[in-house]
Amino acid sequence: MVDTSLLRNVQTSRDMEPIAKERDRLLHRTARALGVTGAALSLVSVALPGVVPLPVFLTSLPLFLVFIGSLVMVGRSPWRRWVVLGVFCGVGALAVLAGQIRTPDDAVALVPLAAAGIAGLSLAVAPTVAWLALFAIAAAASVILVQLASAGDALLSAATVSVIAGWTLTALGGYWLAASVPRASRRIYSIGKAHRAERHASETEAQRRQSARLLHDTVLATLTLLAHSGVGVAPAAMQQQAGDDARLLRQLRLGATPTPQSSGSYNLEPVEETVLGTTLESVKQRFGRIGLEVTWHGTGQVLLPSDVLDAFLLSLAECLENVRRHSGVTQADVTITDDATTVRAMVTDSGIGFDLAGIDEDKLGFKESVVARLREVGGNARLFSSQGSGTTVVLEVPK
Amino acid sequence: MTEVNETTQPRRIHGRRVKPSPTGLTRALRQPNERGATLGTGHLGLGASVLCVVQALYGLAQFISHWDAYPNTLPVVGAWALYLATIAVAIIILSTLGDRLPLWTYAVFLLLLAGVVALDFLAIWPLGNMGGYATASVSAGFGLLLVVTLRAGYELLAASSTLALAFIVAIALTTPLTAATLPTQLVTVALAVLPSVLGVMVLRGFRRMVQLELDRVLVQSTVSAPRFAVGMLASEELARLDLAAEELLDAVATGRTALPLSPESASVAASLATELRLHLIEGRRETWLYHAITESELLGKAVALTDRGSLAGLLDPTQRDGLLSGVWLIVSDSAKSKAPRTVQLTIGPRANTNERLSGNRIAVPIVITTTNLPRNRVDPAIWDSIGKMGRYGDSTQNGSLRLDITCLVDNPADR
Repeated sequence: MVDTSLLRNVQTSRDMEPIAKERDRLLHRTARALGVTGAALSLVSVALPGVVPLPVFLTSLPLFLVFIGSLVMVGRSPWRRWVVLGVFCGVGALAVLAGQIRTPDDAVALVPLAAAGIAGLSLAVAPTVAWLALFAIAAAASVILVQLASAGDALLSAATVSVIAGWTLTALGGYWLAASVPRASRRIYSIGKAHRAERHASETEAQRRQSARLLHDTVLATLTLLAHSGVGVAPAAMQQQAGDDARLLRQLRLGATPTPQSSGSYNLEPVEETVLGTTLESVKQRFGRIGLEVTWHGTGQVLLPSDVLDAFLLSLAECLENVRRHSGVTQADVTITDDATTVRAMVTDSGIGFDLAGIDEDKLGFKESVVARLREVGGNARLFSSQGSGTTVVLEVPK
Repeated sequence: MTEVNETTQPRRIHGRRVKPSPTGLTRALRQPNERGATLGTGHLGLGASVLCVVQALYGLAQFISHWDAYPNTLPVVGAWALYLATIAVAIIILSTLGDRLPLWTYAVFLLLLAGVVALDFLAIWPLGNMGGYATASVSAGFGLLLVVTLRAGYELLAASSTLALAFIVAIALTTPLTAATLPTQLVTVALAVLPSVLGVMVLRGFRRMVQLELDRVLVQSTVSAPRFAVGMLASEELARLDLAAEELLDAVATGRTALPLSPESASVAASLATELRLHLIEGRRETWLYHAITESELLGKAVALTDRGSLAGLLDPTQRDGLLSGVWLIVSDSAKSKAPRTVQLTIGPRANTNERLSGNRIAVPIVITTTNLPRNRVDPAIWDSIGKMGRYGDSTQNGSLRLDITCLVDNPADR
């Protein structure tokens, strides 16, 4: 829907597009720079003593000033009549001065106003028939007036040829500049289209990576071990685990969505429901490798939706990791039970335990990694412990 | 068991991240553009060549009309031959070489033009009217236009100033300055200098226009994004973290990194785990609008967003388009002025209206406050854009425009 409306806008009403506004701004600025420079050059030249009599100069002065003023106002004010006013004052100034100049040398003083000043003003308007007609008349008038001022025998004086050249170059430059904008704009739009595709692709990619949760859980566990320099784990086991995880990440990077299901072999097929039993085995082996002996009790085969299973296994692994790090014992018991609606895991250790009142349960580690993840899939976690008598965590997820 | 470990320390204290540099396609496109190579400037460069050729024809006509005046035509014929050969070769080289011009090529080009100027000056020196008879040397000023899209503006302006200086010195040494000769000298010097100055100015404006439009179009792609998105930057960040983790684990697995880990490597692993975990937990919390503002060069600098309920995500594509282009128009109008405008966007909180809304829609209030935008300077296009979002009222706050908009959106609970 967005695509087609955008396209329609591009095709039918480009003038409404922001780039058209920027294009006009650029043309106005160019017109102003060229026009003001031309007018100022002429003004300085005719102000030189001896070029024209003083009263004539004073007559032309207000016309010059209004001309420059209208150039300044072009683009700042939406009032198009500034352009008309500018053309009239410019041609008027030429007429006043041309009547008093009778040498080819002095006629050169009019060339900047005629060739750059008035011509520059033409850049400020759209090429409609009315404007083209006005500027055609202005161009003809400026050529004739400069030719008159040159007062030579030649068909066209050097100054007149300069004026013709100035109009030609200005018109050509303005046309080319305006014509470059739609070309650039077309390319920008095709880039925009490519970018939109890339945004969607990157969104999908991020989703894919984020949804590879089980994979990231095992990677995070391994990185956490490495953050403790891998102390307490046999180097060979550490290396094997790191190797497994690096391989999973490589598969993820190459476009697959690996889901570690059991140690040694990976199921790369996306599955709607996964058997809990085989997956638990991989968790057990992982902790076995790093020195925590986990005894498994209860249900071996439960079917869970894959996102629930991911959350369940992550929480379980987090709990076991905490047992390994903080309980002071190397054994833990996990009991899995299920009824009609819920799967429940009880993680128990007989370690040092801790005083629940002394530690804020909301602390980030437990809350974010276990509770938040379980709540996301509709589950919950509860924690029981007291100083010296071990810890029990109950994890629950809906079936 | 609830001890906070090193991998779960919060990293973000509040709100806004420091904006990383634009990534991927965006970076690939913007960089060459910043260096000034692409996107329409090629066509513009072609136009400059056309201007240069047309002016050369005019100069040639002038030269022929002065033929009888030259005491010695050899140098000026040489000047014209050199100039025409130079621009011919330059145009051929530029059309094959594409969008780059190495410094040494530019230096050779300038030397050749200097040769043209020297020969032309040599020929007209005895005439005592530099301005009146200079032809090829004026054209050399237009010749600089050939490279206007390929070299930095200051390099062109330096060359152009040198040319102006050469003219002024030559005129001072040869030409008696009277009311009769002075206008011609002035016009001639201006004619030699003006093309490159104007060319540099136009090109700068053109590039700015293209950049602004590119920025706008790239950001425009967010209007079709889902309600919550990861964003281009975060998505690449996650890929980067995954790759870093893979490399670290691979190094451990192959034994390149010895176990037990050195404290440095261990802390690398710890910070990787922290970042990765936060990225995964953090998920997709930001709306398309947040991404649009952070990814845009222009909006990022000028717009502050407050959207506690992430309500921007509820806007439909038309409303998003209206909001984005309205804010864009407000900010872009003043991008270069001395008093840049800023925009404060406040979305929500949801109003508790008793008003029955048809079809279970809910009202999202949006307040746009601005600085440096008087009510009477508002571009009409802004009203059109804001009108796409819903009912709005405008007022003035601290001398600048304030808009109160009510957007009706579908209730997310019904989706």
